[in-house]
Amino acid sequence: MEQTINILFNGLSLSSIILLTSLGLAITFGVMRVINMAHGEFVMIGAYTTFVVQQIFSKFLPEAIGGLYYFVAIAAAFGVAFGLGSLLEKFVISRLYGREIDSLLATWGISLILQQGARSIFGSQGVNVTAPAFLSGGITLGECTFSYNRIFIILLVALCMGAVWLVMYKSNFGCQMRAVMQNRPMAQCMGINSRKVDNITFAMGSGFAGIAGCSVALLGSIDSTVGQSYIVNSFMAVVLGGVGNLAGTVIGSSIIGISSIFTENYTSSTIAKAVVLLIVIVFLQKRPQGLFVIKSRNLD
Amino acid sequence: MNITRKFLSALAAGALVLGAFGLMGCEDSKESATVKVGLLHSLTGPMAISEKSVRDAEVLAIEQINKAGGVLGKQIVFVEEDGASEPSTFATKAEKLIDIEKVVTVFGCWTSSSRKAVKPIFEEYKSLLWYPVQYEGMEMSPNIVYTGAAPNQQIVPAIEYLISKGYKKLFLLGSDYVFPRTANMIINAQAKAAGIAVVGEEYADMDQTDFAAIIAKIEAAKPDVIVNTLNGTGNVSFFKQMSEKNYSSKEYMTMSFSIAEEEVATIGPAILKGHMVSWNYYQTTSTPENEAFVAAYKAKFGEKRVTSDPAEAAYDAVYLWAEAVKVAKSFEVEAILTALKSGAISFKAPEGVVTVDGKSQHLSKPVRVGVVTDDGLIKEVFATAGPVVPDPYLTTYDWAVKAGLQPLN
Amino acid sequence: MKALKLFERHGSNVTFGIIVFILAMMPVLLMLGVVSGGSTILFLGKCISFAIVAIGIDLIWGYTGILSLGHGLYFALGGYAMAMYLKMQATGGQITDFMHIGGLTELPFAWKIFTLSPGSLLFVVIAPAVVAWIVGYFIFKNRVKGVYFSIISQALTWAACSLFIAMSPYTNGNVGITEIKSIFGSIKGSANQGNMFLLFYAALLTLVAIYALSKFLVERKFGRVLIAIRDGENRTYFSGYPVSRYKTFIYVLSAAFAGIAGAIFVNFNGCITPSQMTITYSIGMVIWVAIGGRGTIIGAVIGAFFINICEYNLSSGSTVEVWQYIIGVLFCVTILFFKGGIVGLVQDKAPKFIAKIRAGKVKA
Repeated sequence: MEQTINILFNGLSLSSIILLTSLGLAITFGVMRVINMAHGEFVMIGAYTTFVVQQIFSKFLPEAIGGLYYFVAIAAAFGVAFGLGSLLEKFVISRLYGREIDSLLATWGISLILQQGARSIFGSQGVNVTAPAFLSGGITLGECTFSYNRIFIILLVALCMGAVWLVMYKSNFGCQMRAVMQNRPMAQCMGINSRKVDNITFAMGSGFAGIAGCSVALLGSIDSTVGQSYIVNSFMAVVLGGVGNLAGTVIGSSIIGISSIFTENYTSSTIAKAVVLLIVIVFLQKRPQGLFVIKSRNLD
Repeated sequence: MNITRKFLSALAAGALVLGAFGLMGCEDSKESATVKVGLLHSLTGPMAISEKSVRDAEVLAIEQINKAGGVLGKQIVFVEEDGASEPSTFATKAEKLIDIEKVVTVFGCWTSSSRKAVKPIFEEYKSLLWYPVQYEGMEMSPNIVYTGAAPNQQIVPAIEYLISKGYKKLFLLGSDYVFPRTANMIINAQAKAAGIAVVGEEYADMDQTDFAAIIAKIEAAKPDVIVNTLNGTGNVSFFKQMSEKNYSSKEYMTMSFSIAEEEVATIGPAILKGHMVSWNYYQTTSTPENEAFVAAYKAKFGEKRVTSDPAEAAYDAVYLWAEAVKVAKSFEVEAILTALKSGAISFKAPEGVVTVDGKSQHLSKPVRVGVVTDDGLIKEVFATAGPVVPDPYLTTYDWAVKAGLQPLN
Repeated sequence: MKALKLFERHGSNVTFGIIVFILAMMPVLLMLGVVSGGSTILFLGKCISFAIVAIGIDLIWGYTGILSLGHGLYFALGGYAMAMYLKMQATGGQITDFMHIGGLTELPFAWKIFTLSPGSLLFVVIAPAVVAWIVGYFIFKNRVKGVYFSIISQALTWAACSLFIAMSPYTNGNVGITEIKSIFGSIKGSANQGNMFLLFYAALLTLVAIYALSKFLVERKFGRVLIAIRDGENRTYFSGYPVSRYKTFIYVLSAAFAGIAGAIFVNFNGCITPSQMTITYSIGMVIWVAIGGRGTIIGAVIGAFFINICEYNLSSGSTVEVWQYIIGVLFCVTILFFKGGIVGLVQDKAPKFIAKIRAGKVKA
C-alpha cells in the first residue's frame, strides 16, 4: 500500500517536473513550429536567477523575510527568461520562419553560447540555492513522506497551466495566438500583428522555462549543464502529446514520468531511462503525430 | 547583410590561417630558461564543475615553484588543453601536448575514463602523467604517477571504520561508471569477509536528476549506512531530495567517497551536516603546510573558494615532480622514473609527508575519516596512525585475494 | 584560362582533389621535417573519419532533408565493432578485465563473433546498417518527418548511450574499449611510422572512395529524386516514387558511412567510448556540415576539416572560453545568413570573381 502511494506520488512529482520544463516548449512548438534547443538553457537561466535573488536577499534583507525570496525569484526567473526569450526571437528566430530544422540548429548554437556565458559569469563550479524554510522537509502521513517542495511544484504546475489556459482561451491575445496557430496567412489578413504575437508567445514559452529552472534549483545541482539533463524528456513529452495541444503535453509528461518511476522500481535507472524512451519511440510509430492531433486537411 | 558576409569571410580566413599555422607546428621553445609542462583538464562540459579546482591548484603550485626560483634554474611554463569532458578529446589533446608541444610532463585528467583513454598514449610515447584523483585502483602504469588515493587508502579503511563503529547493514549507491562499480565490488568482498550485510546496490545515471525511485529502494532496504560513490551533480540531487524527505544523518547515515569541501559548498552544509566522508586531506587538516596552502589558495582564487582533497593531491603532484626532477637532475622521463623508483621522493604536503612508492608509483599517505560540520568544513574524526602504503591491487588483504578481485593476467 | 574553366565546371571535385593532395603530401612533409610531430598525421586521420561521417550526414540532410541528431550512434556502433575485433585479435579470444570485474566467466556471444574470422570486420558496416534499417523502415513508412524525426533520432541515441553504459560487463560502461592497437599494429612514435603512414593512406583512400560513390549517386537521377523529396515530399509521392524506400536506403547508406568512419576513428584514436554516442557529439557532426555547406558533399569535407582543425588549435589555454563563443556564433550566423555555408559563399562570389579575372585579361 505504502509502496503504491509512494510510486504514485513520485511519478506524479516527476511528471509535474517534466510538464513544467516542457510547458514552454509546447507553447513555442505548438504555435510557432520552432523547436527551441536552447530551452534547457532557459531552465538554467531560471535556476541561476534564483541563486542571484537569494544572494541579494541574504545580503541586503533581514533573515526574517529571507524565505520570501523564493516568490520574488519565481517572478524574476520568469521576467529574465521572458526578456531574453523576446530578444532571441527578435534577432534569431524571426529570421527563420518556415525553416523548422534551421531554427532547431540555430538555437543549438545559442545554447552553446549561453552555457559558456554561465561558465564565464558564475564559474565552472556549481552554485547552491537553499530551500526556503517553508519548502524544506516534508509532511509524514503514516509511512509516507510527501515533500513540501514537490507538493509546491505540483501546485505551481497547476497554476501555470491555469495561467496558460486563461491566456490562451480567455484573453484577446490568446484568441489572436490561436488564430495565428491555425492559419497564419488568414490571421494576418484579419489584421493580427503576427510578428508581435510570435514574439510574445516565444517569450512566454521561455518565461515558463525560467519558472521551471526556479523549481529544479531546489531539487538538484545548478551549473552550466543543468538544462541538458531535462531537455530530452521535455522534447519527448511534447512530441508524444501531440503538437499544439496542451492537454496532450500533460498526458505525455505523465506517461513518461510515471512509467520512468515504475520501471526504475524494478530495474536500474540507466536501463529505465533507455526502456522508457524506446517505448515512446515505438509508440510514436503507431501515431507519428502524437496522442492528440489537431485535425487538418493540410498535407504539409 | 553585406557587412556580416564580409565579417564571416574574414573570420573564416583568419581561422584557416590560424589552423594552418597550428598544423605547421609551434616553433621549439627558444628560451632555454624555461621548461614546458602540460595541464590537461576539462574546462568545458559537465566535468568542468570538478576539474576547475584541480587545475587551479596545479597553477598555484607552478607559480609558487617559479617564485622560489624554478626547477634546476628554469622557470616552469604551462600549456593548457581542454579535454571537454570527452575521453577521446583527452586522447587527442594528450598526444598534442606530448608530440607537438613537447612538454616534459603532463598533469591532468579526473575521470577514470579519461585516464584510461590517455594511458596507452603516455605509455607509447614514454611520457609521464601525474593523475591527481582518488580512483578505483587495479591499475599500475609505468608512465603514470597516481597522487590520489588507491582503494586501500580511502575505501577499505573507511569501511573498516564503519564496521568498528557497529554498522551492520550497508547500502551501496553509486553513479553508473567504473569507479563506483569497482569500489562496490571491493566493498562487497570486504563486507562478506567481515560478516556484515550489503542490503542493496544501486547505480544512478550520470546525469540523473530525480532520485525518488532510488530513495524508495533505500527506504525498503532499511540500511543503517549508505555507502555513497555518486559523482558530480548526482550528489547534489540525491542529498537535496533526501532532505526533502526529512532524512538527515540521524535517519540515514552516509559515508561518501566523492564529496569534498567543494561539493559541500554546492549541496549546502545544512543538508550534509553530520554525514561522513573519507579522504586523505581536509581543509581543516592541521599542519603548518596546510595553513600556508589554504592561505595561498584563497589569496589567489578568492576568499570563498575552498581547498579539497583532489586539489591538494594535484598541488602535491607538481611539487613531487619538481622534487623528482631535482633528484634526477634532469627533465628526462627516464631519469625521473628512475628517481621515483628509489622510493626516496617525498614532499611535506598539506596532508602530511607523502612519499612516492617506488614499485607502484602511488603515494604513501595518511587516511582520514571526517564529518561535515555546520560551517561547510569537514572535521576529522579518525585518522590512521601514519601514512598507509599504497596497494592498488589489494594484494595484502586476504579477503581481497580470496575473492579474486585482482584483474586477469 | 583552362584552369578557370575547369574550376567553374568541376569546382567541387577540383577542391576535393586539392584537399586529398595536401593530405597525401602530409607524410612527405613530415619526413622532410616541415611538419613537426607524427601526431599531426594521427590527428588528420581522425579528421578523415570525421569527413566521412559528414558526407553521410550531407547525403541525408543536405540532399534528402532528413536531419539526424543521432548519427553518433552509428559512428559509435562502427567504432565498437572495430574495437571489439581489434581487441579480440590482440587478446586471442581471452575474456577482458572488465568482463571479469563484471562477473562474466566466459566470452559473451557478441564478442565471440569477432574471434571467428576476419570476416567479422564486416560488422563495422552491418551493425549500423541493420539498426538504421530497422529505425528507418518504420519511421519513414509511418511518415515521421521534419523535426519529429530529429527529436526521435536524438532520443534514440540517448537511450542507446545509456544502454551501453548500463551493460558495463559487456561494453565496459563509460570507459569504453581502450588500449586498442590499430589494424596495422602500433602507430605511435617514430618507430612505428611505417604503420602510421599505411593506416593514413588507407583512410585517405576510403575517403576518396566514399566521396566518389556519393558524387556518383547524387549526380544521377537518384540524386534528383532525393532533392525532390527534400523540396516537396508529397509531390514526389504523387509522382509515383516510393519515397519511404528512397529515404530508408539513403539513411542506411549514411549510417554505413558513419560506421566506416567510426572504425577508422578507432584505429587512429585507440579507444572508443559512449561519449561518441552522445547528443552533443552527434550535433557537432551536423555543425561541420552546416558550416562547410550542405547539399554539396565537398562542403561536408571542408566543414569537418575546418572545424576540427580550428578546435584542435583553439580549444587550449586562454582561448578555450573564446572558442565556445566562436563556434556558437559561427554556427548561428551560418544558419541565419549563409545557408550554403563556406561552399555556398564561394559559389556566390566565385562567378563574379572569375568574371573579373576574365575581364582583366581581356583588357590586358
